[in-house]
Amino acid sequence: MPPKTGERDRCATGLEGLDTILYGGIPRSNTILLTGSCGTGKTSLALEFLIHGAQRGENSLFVSVTENSEKLLTNIIPYKFFDRSLIKSGRLVFVDLPVMYERLGMTKAELSMEEIELLVAGIRDLAEELGTKRLVIDSITSVCYKLKTSEKIRDFILKLGKSLSDLNCTTILVGEVPADSTSYSSFGVEEAIADGIILMANMERRGDLLRTLQVIKMRGTMHSRAKYVLDLTPMGVLLVPLLKGGSTV
Amino acid sequence: MSPDQMSAQKIAAELLEMPPASAISLQMSVDNYLDVIRGVLDLFANKREMDTIYVTATISSDAIKRVLEALDIDTSRIYFVDCISHIMMGGTAAQQDDHTTLVESPTMLENLMLKVEYLIRRSQSKDKLVVIDSINSLAIHNNNWILSEFLHILVSGLRSREAFTVILSVEEHSTADINNMVSLVCDHGIRAGKEG
Repeated sequence: MPPKTGERDRCATGLEGLDTILYGGIPRSNTILLTGSCGTGKTSLALEFLIHGAQRGENSLFVSVTENSEKLLTNIIPYKFFDRSLIKSGRLVFVDLPVMYERLGMTKAELSMEEIELLVAGIRDLAEELGTKRLVIDSITSVCYKLKTSEKIRDFILKLGKSLSDLNCTTILVGEVPADSTSYSSFGVEEAIADGIILMANMERRGDLLRTLQVIKMRGTMHSRAKYVLDLTPMGVLLVPLLKGGSTV
Repeated sequence: MSPDQMSAQKIAAELLEMPPASAISLQMSVDNYLDVIRGVLDLFANKREMDTIYVTATISSDAIKRVLEALDIDTSRIYFVDCISHIMMGGTAAQQDDHTTLVESPTMLENLMLKVEYLIRRSQSKDKLVVIDSINSLAIHNNNWILSEFLHILVSGLRSREAFTVILSVEEHSTADINNMVSLVCDHGIRAGKEG
């Protein structure tokens, strides 16, 4: 459906519950921080976002930083809607960032400002070449460990976000935070720069551990700020509202 | 069955009069559980070739399967969301399979909703039935606030998907609060118990 006058075009995630929370999807070309502690379902959600995009004819790119993409595909939830022909046809592409580092000659533990420029250009060129409209970097936190300083992290995310936005590409940066963190990012910079923050967490209630999702901010659209409980199923990520009667806070 | 209890045929006949997306409260007695099961699952759902999602919080899905087998009821279209086997932790606990999904605890009401939602989406059947067995068992593990909220969200969601909902309650174990909670979300009530 075309957007109404003055309304931002949406990149429907294809996750029914999340699109409802976002009043139709992520504003197109935004850069979103999808953050949370381990085991909360970030990678699964990000992957599903790309699969739905590829199915709709939008070229999608997964940049894997921490895990070899072959291994990632082996461990993927057996989605009923996932068709491996999306990979064969090039609609869905997986790239391992460590391979890219190697090709760009980035062997040192810390990247220089020039290397950051080079890395941003490398990702942008790849996205442009592939005609990418949806991109995931999993995880941005691992990239940040090679940047070390807040200035470099800020510079990298700002430049990357701008380059991809210019390509009309909607980007999800997967962030990792410790389970007890009160911040939305490990370095405190990512959350300030991103256009949106989706927080995934494990919430304990009377001894039960629930996986939750909450949209903290999303520039360019109204959105629900309520907390939802999610399940990772072969039909994809399913969401229901957190029952308030049992909330601990 | 005592003469004043409703028969399986009568229960099915009442259910067959309900339009799609109806939510029905079915109050039974502990003595006529088998009539209720036969009426709802066999004479109503199986006869209409509906997929049934049976949420069990009272006895394990394995035990219900044995009952259905004894009653010679076809279980090929019945899918269980079993909230009780996991916490029993014993040898009688049900195994997760294509027809059985386990929820860790009856206190995880959101997960219960998610499993129902998953099975609804997976079902190819035109008409679907969701049975909650029983509200009294869920009330043992949850307070009325959260249970009421759960029923409201679950039933509203099922209505939007045009699914039938049948909420079982046991008259001997029911309270005014539980009855009110159920009647608030249901369109119709069937009394199949001793006082029915």
